[in-house]
Amino acid sequence: MSTDSGTAAPGGAGASPGLFTRKATGLVREAKTRDALFYNLLWSSVALTFAFYWLFFAFYPGANPYLGILIAAGLGLPGSFLYAMLTQIMPRTGGDYVFNSRALHPSIGFAGNFSYCFWLAIVIGVYTTYFAAYGIGAWGRMMTGFTGSTGWVDFGDWFSTEWGLFITGTVALLISAALFIRGGTRLFFKVQAVGFVVYVVGAFVLPAIVGLFQDQGGFVSSFNEYAANLGATDAVGALKDSAAEAGYASSGFDLEATIKSVSILWFIFGFIYSSNYFAGEIRVTRGTHLKSMPGAVLLAVTALLILIPSFLSVADYDFNGMLGFADPAAYGFVAGAPAYPEIMAIASSSPVFGTVIILGFALGLLLWLPQTLLLVSRSMFAWSFDRIMPEKLSYVEPRSRSPLVAIMVMLVLSIGSTAIYAFTDWFSAVSVLLGLSLTLLITSISGIALPFRQPAMVEGSPYDRKVLGIPLISLVGGLALLGFGAAIGIILWDEGSGASLSANPGKLQLALLVYVVAFAIYWVARAVRKSQGIDLSLSHRELPPE
Amino acid sequence: MALFGLGKGNREKPVRLFYASDIHGTEVLWRKFLNAAKSYDADVLVMGGDLTGKAVIPLVEKDDGYEVELFGERQWITGEEKVAELERQVRGKGMYPHRMSAAEVERVAALTEDEREEWFAEVMLDTFNQWLDLAGERLGGSEGHCFVMPGNDDPPGVAEAIERSGGVEACDGKLVEFDGYSMVSLGYSNPTPFDSPRELPEDEIHDRVSALADAAPDISRCVFNLHVPPYDSQLDTAPELDENLQVVMAGSEPKQIPVGSTAVRELIEEYQPLLALHGHVHESAGATRIGRTLCINPGSDYHTGRISGCLIALRGEDVKHQFING
Repeated sequence: MSTDSGTAAPGGAGASPGLFTRKATGLVREAKTRDALFYNLLWSSVALTFAFYWLFFAFYPGANPYLGILIAAGLGLPGSFLYAMLTQIMPRTGGDYVFNSRALHPSIGFAGNFSYCFWLAIVIGVYTTYFAAYGIGAWGRMMTGFTGSTGWVDFGDWFSTEWGLFITGTVALLISAALFIRGGTRLFFKVQAVGFVVYVVGAFVLPAIVGLFQDQGGFVSSFNEYAANLGATDAVGALKDSAAEAGYASSGFDLEATIKSVSILWFIFGFIYSSNYFAGEIRVTRGTHLKSMPGAVLLAVTALLILIPSFLSVADYDFNGMLGFADPAAYGFVAGAPAYPEIMAIASSSPVFGTVIILGFALGLLLWLPQTLLLVSRSMFAWSFDRIMPEKLSYVEPRSRSPLVAIMVMLVLSIGSTAIYAFTDWFSAVSVLLGLSLTLLITSISGIALPFRQPAMVEGSPYDRKVLGIPLISLVGGLALLGFGAAIGIILWDEGSGASLSANPGKLQLALLVYVVAFAIYWVARAVRKSQGIDLSLSHRELPPE
Repeated sequence: MALFGLGKGNREKPVRLFYASDIHGTEVLWRKFLNAAKSYDADVLVMGGDLTGKAVIPLVEKDDGYEVELFGERQWITGEEKVAELERQVRGKGMYPHRMSAAEVERVAALTEDEREEWFAEVMLDTFNQWLDLAGERLGGSEGHCFVMPGNDDPPGVAEAIERSGGVEACDGKLVEFDGYSMVSLGYSNPTPFDSPRELPEDEIHDRVSALADAAPDISRCVFNLHVPPYDSQLDTAPELDENLQVVMAGSEPKQIPVGSTAVRELIEEYQPLLALHGHVHESAGATRIGRTLCINPGSDYHTGRISGCLIALRGEDVKHQFING
């Protein structure tokens, strides 16, 4: 149906040109950019990555966080523009699967997207661990730190036990699935909007304010009082001694360490455009995707550049470096070193402010679960819609208008992943960063190729322009390729990334093996469909008009 | 393998049917549709309505060229080659380029709404007849079928033009047969807020289709080709409009409602044909089942230059489909 209405005459006096329109039905696309923007800022785990940056700061001695963020954002920014442009051109559910299958080949589109979903199905379980350790666990310890009552820390520690991890993760996943089953994306986006506000206030605004009003001396005093309730006396002194004993030495600026630290920050800037996976459900107005993808990059950079000086005014480089080297038990933090939310909670000297900070941070971790269910289920939906996977996967439940079967499949995989993380150490050496990033590389190649492979698609888009004779989207694709390629190069170079060529041989081969499996699945599905009279190669091939 | 539906049905060669709808005057999509028979090895082509466009772009004669306002940008072009290229671009967007004198533009601008609708119909039919000639050239002599019907947006002359055409087969309001299957077609829609040219009350839709379906030789091998999708089927979700044709907002987003036909839903529930093909609601593409009937709306992205369609393999009472974005 349509918003095209009435009959317009050419405007202006005299016989000026214009157009005459009819009364007719047609296509309406109206948009809400907010949900996509919030999704991108939450799913890219800005706060969690900031926490990890400082937890692993000791492994990057001399790294400059400001420069590291600008480099990582610089590498991801062209990609964010590319994803926004491709999403505008192909506003369909399935994201890179859609782009790559149309621009390159259906098997490549499927392999890249399958790999992406495979690694997400593995990593989804680890978010439960983070939630237990840096969410509820940290909150329980904080309450003990402020009140002296050890019951709180015992409460928090339960969530880090095997069953604690499994039960918490499973409940969180069931609630996530229930959100979609009960109210579809509409309910989810409402919950996401509320959660986003709490997240921003807790994980960013309040810590920044605390940093403005607290200095290092005051923080050291608060830290000692807090740790005293955890059973340590002169905790800061003990921290220094333990770190020195472990070999910690203060370090000046180091460019190599700064560049290598980009492998941590890539968790943000490599994945801050993931609203493309549910583009078919976003109402689009002018600039929707540009605001929600490159816009998210700019907002994340701004938030981090505000947060860093506030954080460092409380806990400086040396303090964070020592936290990485020292034995946490030596300064009273038996369960592990505190992450930045707990540090800022301590700096606030207030259990109320501390609760808001840790709650906001933990909510970001929790929301990642339904967000990932959404992403993977939409990818599965797209595979099924194109008949690569069974028809059932694209079944949409009428009331919630959600792909119910796809959600249930991902739910089962996610609970399995949580169980493996909780009860075994099978995934302890898994690094998903490389596997996820390879898909980005393919998408950048699609961007370069699209104007040549699908000229009609680009011709009908707002990006049908050339710069220095090069199609705009190819140019952006080329820049994205450089950015993504450099980021992957850093991941392969950085011994701390978990996927370096030197320290983790075999990780690249493993990532490539997933592609081999995905290609095999595609070609088997294609043969099966052929026997049913369905030729998968036709789904995206442009029909010649002549 | 059962997961993919293997083993259900026999090994006879399937009848391949390509369905598309709502191309709204986009000539490149019509050309692609006609080529689908060859490219997809399709035995049957079905165009489900709304063939004509919604806007005429005047190319106003000025000096030795034409002045035209396209996408908010006014330009003056000279030379037949450049003018023809611009006309091609305009057609590619589903609009009709129309060379006019300044006096004619003023005359049309001064017409009443009804008079201007008639003028539109003339302009559109002129192009549509060329489309039908092209169909005759491309499909003439082929063994397959190419069924075409007007939708709710098409002015009255379109149905007559299809009836007269030698290149395509008219199917609107008819029961037709092909390769052991029958097809019941109706291009009218239920009432819309736009008062479009071809709308019927729900009960009349029911009466017309049921009269045709009753005559179908075997309903289990019958296809319903009904422009408007069944009510509340997920194939008919569109933003709600108020009496001023403005989108009704729910919070900060458009309120989505089912806009399909209750009569079509009842007909599918009642007759349970093998397959039901629909268009009309561009943004509600998908496939769903109502009882045993597979209902399909491939949607429309006509402004992108890609044809949204569905390739269907019919084998006995088994039906397999795949969406195509060609």
